[in-house]
Amino acid sequence: MEMQHDNVGDVRRVVLVGRLDTKGVDLVETRFGAAIVPNGKDTIVDLTQVTFMASMGIRMLISTTRALSRKGAKLVLYGAGPGVRDVIETTALTEIIPLAGNESEALGLVAG
Amino acid sequence: MADRSKDDISGLRSSAIVNGRLEIVLNNTLEAIEDGRCSMLDFLASQRLADAVRHRLEVIFEELVSNTIRHGFTRHSRQSIHVRIEPRPGLVEFTFEDDGAPFNPLDAQVPQRFSTIETARIGGLGIPLVTRLSAHLRYERLPQRADDADFAPCNRLVVGVAV
Repeated sequence: MEMQHDNVGDVRRVVLVGRLDTKGVDLVETRFGAAIVPNGKDTIVDLTQVTFMASMGIRMLISTTRALSRKGAKLVLYGAGPGVRDVIETTALTEIIPLAGNESEALGLVAG
Repeated sequence: MADRSKDDISGLRSSAIVNGRLEIVLNNTLEAIEDGRCSMLDFLASQRLADAVRHRLEVIFEELVSNTIRHGFTRHSRQSIHVRIEPRPGLVEFTFEDDGAPFNPLDAQVPQRFSTIETARIGGLGIPLVTRLSAHLRYERLPQRADDADFAPCNRLVVGVAV
């Protein structure tokens, strides 16, 4: 599981690459939170290259988004492929974390 | 019948194809998730499954195997999970048997729908996810056996996934 992050203007962008399974979450969860929460910036998370997600991945996204929201910032996901989108929609995660189709849509959602 | 056995240190204790279905035995280690997944995908490669269906099968496999190892087994014990994977018309059916603590996933609490990020439940998402992704799910608590068999399963779970 790999992760990169940078900024798009005032928005933090995090790119996840690989499998958000038990092992992948163990590898990336601490770095993921550290790249997002201390900054307290609105954040978009690119899931385009995430090839698998199960409940551990959902848990990681909720706990990080919660910590960020306590700093008054938003997190938006984007670019999920069919399998990852299926899990996100099945768990109704989009009720609390928006899922956009692409990066520009995600930037629009954090600005809105 | 193809058969292979591996060292107990790995997640996969054995793997065999019998009468068109895959039969694998998984050790009590989290390595079993990845080793078992690879074995399952090798077996299903000829089925030409849609990516979303394959993803569902992987999610169900991951959730149920990790749940048994993390919550049903005693750490470092020789307990095991026996998994059969059988393609059938219109679905793929899993049968999971394990000798861990009795656990009926159908008794798992149905989580409330997410309403706010502050109140969202973080734990216990795996079993409800399995329930929602499967076409059918049947649990059977197996009777205790009096003999000294190497494997005396306590739980049997049959899960069908539409393809």
